[in-house]
Amino acid sequence: MAKALQNKLTKKNTTSTTITKVKKKTLINKVKTEHVGPLAVSIRGLKKKYVLHHEKPTFVEKFFGRSTSEEFMAIDNIDISIPKGQKVAIVGSNGSGKTTLLKLICGVTKETQGEVKVNGRVVSLIDLEAGFHPDLNGYENIALNGLIVGMTRAEIEESTPDIIKFAHIGKFIDAPLFTYSEGMKLRLGFAIAVHANPDILVLDEMIATGDANFQKQCIRRIESFFKQHKTIITVSHVMEFIEPYYQRFIWLDKGKVKMDGGKEVIVAYRKTWK
Amino acid sequence: MKHHFLDRYWFEFVWAMTIKEIKARYKKAILGFLWIFLNPLLQMIVIGLIFQFFVPVKVENYFLFLFTGLLPWNFFALSVSRNTPIIMNERGMIKKSNFPRESIVLAVVFSNLFHLLVAWILLLLVLVFDKVFFDRYSLLQTTQYVLSILWTIPLIGWLTMLTTGFSLLFAALNVKYRDVNFLVQAIIPLWFYATPIVYTLQLLPDLFSLLLYLNPMTGLLEMFHAVLLKQPVYEPQLVAFNLFLSILFFLLGCWVFMKEAPYFDDWV
Repeated sequence: MAKALQNKLTKKNTTSTTITKVKKKTLINKVKTEHVGPLAVSIRGLKKKYVLHHEKPTFVEKFFGRSTSEEFMAIDNIDISIPKGQKVAIVGSNGSGKTTLLKLICGVTKETQGEVKVNGRVVSLIDLEAGFHPDLNGYENIALNGLIVGMTRAEIEESTPDIIKFAHIGKFIDAPLFTYSEGMKLRLGFAIAVHANPDILVLDEMIATGDANFQKQCIRRIESFFKQHKTIITVSHVMEFIEPYYQRFIWLDKGKVKMDGGKEVIVAYRKTWK
Repeated sequence: MKHHFLDRYWFEFVWAMTIKEIKARYKKAILGFLWIFLNPLLQMIVIGLIFQFFVPVKVENYFLFLFTGLLPWNFFALSVSRNTPIIMNERGMIKKSNFPRESIVLAVVFSNLFHLLVAWILLLLVLVFDKVFFDRYSLLQTTQYVLSILWTIPLIGWLTMLTTGFSLLFAALNVKYRDVNFLVQAIIPLWFYATPIVYTLQLLPDLFSLLLYLNPMTGLLEMFHAVLLKQPVYEPQLVAFNLFLSILFFLLGCWVFMKEAPYFDDWV
């Protein structure tokens, strides 16, 4: 299903890409020569170290000074500046540090060294059901999940009718969440996240949720984010999907930036595929 | 990403989590919110019936003595034992989004506090009823007694502070050292008997006095008994030292939790 959606997306956009090809080239050049405009994300000397546990550490072991651990650099000295409104795709093989980088940008975890500065509200469309409680009804879950994605109470109250309409929950809205189908839960989660008015949107390739109609709705909404000059950061393996949409590509390899630039990054990255 | 602490969003978040905690508990119960009152009432009856017959404690009304101690203890023990493994239990949320981590712990403490307050009002009604009908208090004496009840407000504040401190401390430690949960599960029943809930301190041999000083719950419960039942306080300096210990544990809990919270994602 996701594949079909991506094809649709690429088809729609081919026309626009050819027209703006010249424009984009200048943009890419701008990226390379340090942007002057306001930054959405500024990452300086970023390092993230994980402790690799070969055995679970216990308080008792710590007490006796016996604990075996090894360190592992997931992000190793990265500098990235993302100007406002730029569309960035992060590519790289599994274990290259893509997810860790997104987690650091979203503030889910904290850096070991360096700094991550984020200007504006980050909303991630990666896992949309994290804050749902199965025993609470739709309204209560909107109130709670809205806060988790960073909305204030006033904003949530204001957009609740829109969220319900967007998610097509209908009469289920005052039923507990465990009675919802998987599709309904996904739709509700997506609806809440897109109504959070993000400045920086973190996307995953798995945005295709629900049935064909809802997929269309999602795509339209995401397209509108693209048009609204929002900063968008994505992690994807599906090249056909990300290529036409993004201006800048960052190739991560073993926690380091291997290449950073325009389409040529994708070309180089593709050569490593066997 | 902006980190919120004690701002408007933070309070809204903690409030919403507390409401969730309270609502979710009674969602599938037929009697619903009636359980907020039924639960302490049933407890009062069951425990009162059992203990009354075989514990040789010399107090005026053992049933009331027991209950003044049990309610704060239950609040403390339930909150701490539920909070210790909570970061692990909520890993779904922790791993996916950035929100004030302490709200998970505080929501449990505050929802339990809400239940304590409901039960507390019931207990106070019983106490006043007892004073008026059995002790034949005059109107002046009753007013004086009711006014002295106001002392329980700072005492409940102390209790909440102590509970929050231990909850934050154990919750943060248990993320890296999973045996903390086992230790807490083992210690809490022992702690119950090390605290003057089913007995009075006067019954204890002097041998245990050091233990009394190191248990911050002792002084707190002595104060609850003193205020509500006019029991003599064992030693005033014990209460003062326990208050000092409680503040220390609270600060320690806050410090450890705030230091560890940004890295929870790496460990769960």
